[in-house]
Amino acid sequence: MREGYVLGLIPETWRFELTRFPWVRRLLKSRWMPLALILFNVFLFTLILMAGFFGGLVVPGNYNFGIMIVWILWWVLLMTVLVPVLSRFWCTMCPLPFLGEWLQRLRLFDVRYEKGRNPSFGLNKRWPKSLSNMWLMNILFLVTTFASGFFTVRPAATFVLLTAIIALAVALSLIYRARTFCLYVCPVSGFQGLYSNFALTEVRVKDPEICARHKQKGCVVGNERGYGCPWLLLPYAFRRNTYCGMCFECLKTCEYDNMAVNLRPPGVDLLVDEKRGLDEAYKALIMLGIAIVFFATFQGPWGTLKDWANAATLSGYVTFIGLHASWNLIVLPAIFLLFVWLARRAAGQPVPLKKVYVNFSYATVPLGLAAWIAFSLGIILPNGSYLLHVLSDPFAWGWDLFGTAHFPWTPIFTGIMPYLMILTLLVGLLFSLDIAFKIARQTFPEPEAAVRGALPVVGFLGAMTVGLMWLFVG
Amino acid sequence: MTRQEGLAVGLAVLATVGTVVATIWYEHSREAGRNVVELLAIQPKNGNWQPNEIRLERGRPVRLKIRNVETVSHGFALPEFGIGIAEIKPGEVHVVDFTPDRTGVFPFYCTVWCSPEHMAMAGRVIVTESVARAPSDR
Repeated sequence: MREGYVLGLIPETWRFELTRFPWVRRLLKSRWMPLALILFNVFLFTLILMAGFFGGLVVPGNYNFGIMIVWILWWVLLMTVLVPVLSRFWCTMCPLPFLGEWLQRLRLFDVRYEKGRNPSFGLNKRWPKSLSNMWLMNILFLVTTFASGFFTVRPAATFVLLTAIIALAVALSLIYRARTFCLYVCPVSGFQGLYSNFALTEVRVKDPEICARHKQKGCVVGNERGYGCPWLLLPYAFRRNTYCGMCFECLKTCEYDNMAVNLRPPGVDLLVDEKRGLDEAYKALIMLGIAIVFFATFQGPWGTLKDWANAATLSGYVTFIGLHASWNLIVLPAIFLLFVWLARRAAGQPVPLKKVYVNFSYATVPLGLAAWIAFSLGIILPNGSYLLHVLSDPFAWGWDLFGTAHFPWTPIFTGIMPYLMILTLLVGLLFSLDIAFKIARQTFPEPEAAVRGALPVVGFLGAMTVGLMWLFVG
Repeated sequence: MTRQEGLAVGLAVLATVGTVVATIWYEHSREAGRNVVELLAIQPKNGNWQPNEIRLERGRPVRLKIRNVETVSHGFALPEFGIGIAEIKPGEVHVVDFTPDRTGVFPFYCTVWCSPEHMAMAGRVIVTESVARAPSDR
C-alpha cells in the first residue's frame, strides 16, 4: 500500500475547506450558530423528558417519544452519520450542558468580555490532573450500559438518566471551568472523541505561520467576538479531533480568519502520535466489546441473555453485569494484549509493550465504529416505523397530530439487513487493516519488522470480524 | 442586554416552559367537559382490565383511552354501545368517544386471543342516572 495514502487511494494530506464558501463562513461565525441548533434540541429534550416522566413505568418503549427519539433516532444518527462524517457535531448542538453554560456565561447570545477575558460565573476550579483523561468516561459509559435493558423499555429510566446527566452538568459547570463536564465526565463524550478521529470533518488552522506570529491568541483567551476555547484546548495547535467539541468559537474569535472547517479522508487522526494513552486504548476496546455484548444480547438469538439484561431475575441481572464488565475490562483487553505481545515478538524490536499496545489499539477504531453502525442498522431498519406514531402521539395520550398515530409497524430492508451489516463490517475491517499497517510502521521503524509486527494485529482484527459476522448471520 | 440576547432568552423560555405549558394546555383543552377514563388492557394472569369496572353517567360524554401496556395485542368491544376496536397493538392507545344513552350494566371484552386466559379478560360498564346516586357511592 502506498505510503501517505488512505487505502492507497486518497492522500492523507488532502483537504477541502468548507469555510471557503462565504455563506458557510458567515453561518459558522454567527453567534446564532450553534445556539439556534441547541435551542431546537432544548425544545426536543423538553418533550423527551416530559415523555419519560409521563410515560413512567407503564408506557412500553416502542410507544414512547423519549425512548424512540433517544435510543432509536439519536443513537443511530450519532453512530451512522454524526460521528463518522461530522466528527463531534453532536457536541455542537447538545442541549445537556446548555443550562450549565448559560449559568457560567450569564449570557446566551452576547459575549461577556471584560478586562481582557471572558468572566465566568462559578468557582472556575481546575479539574484534577489525574482525572484529565478518558478513564472516568470509560467507567461511566460502561456502567450506563449495565442499565441498557431498562433505558429502551422503561420511559422512567431514560428520564432518570437524562435528568441525572443534566443535573451533573449544571453542578460541575458551577464548580469547574468551561466545558469540564463535556471533556472529562459526559458518558457519551469519550467514544465520540475517539471515533471522531475517523471522521470526515475537522476544525483546523489554515496557516500555522499566522498563529505563530500572532501573540494575542483570542482563540484561547477569548475576545469581544467570542469565548476562549470552551473545551480548554489550543485551537491553533489542533492535530486531532478527540477533544474538539466543534463549538466554532475559534472561528469567531480568530482575528485573521485563520480557522477552517475541512473535509478530509477518513481515519487520518488515528495516525497522529500525540497524547496517545492507555485510557484511549481502553476506550477503543471497551467500545468494540460493548458492541459485541449489545449485539449478542439485544439482537442475537439468546433470549436468556436478554432476560438477564432486562433484570427478569436479580441473579440473572447480576450475572449479566458480571459477564459484561469482565468481558470489557479484562477478557477483551487481555486477548488484545496477547496479540500485541505476539506482534512485538514477531517484530523483534525493543519497543515497550505498553507503547505497542496503545498504538495498535487505534487500529481497532474503524472496526469498532463499523460494528456500531451495523448494530444501529439492526435497530433502525426493523423499528424505525415506530417513529411515525410517536411523532403523532408523543406522550401516548391518544393524540394523532400528523395522522400517523396508528401507522402499522413496518420493518424495512430487514431481508438484506445481514448483508448490509457484513458489508459495513468489511469496510471497517479494510480501514482497520490500513491503519494497522501504518501504525506498525510508526511503532517499528524497520519496514520488514513493521510488516511482521502488523500480522498478529491483522489476525486479531480478522478474528473479531469473523466473530461479529457470525453474530450477524448466525 | 441586546435585542438578540433578549430574543435568545425568550426562545429558551419558549423551548422549555412554553413547551410544558402548551402541551398541558393542549391536552386539557382536548378533554374539556369530558369524563376521561383511562383503561389499561392487561391479560387476566397479570391483573385483567384496569379498572375492570367503569362507572358512567347517562347523557354525559365520556372519553375512553384504552392503552395496551403489554407485549401482546389486545382488542376491545363494548357491544351494547356498538363500540369495537379490532386490534390494539402493544404500546398503542386508542381513544373512543361516546355518550351512554341508557342505564344498566354492560360487559366489555378483549377480542384478540391474547393468552390462554383470554376468555376471562372482561370487565363491565355501569351506567347510572347519576354517579352521586349510585348505591356504592353513598
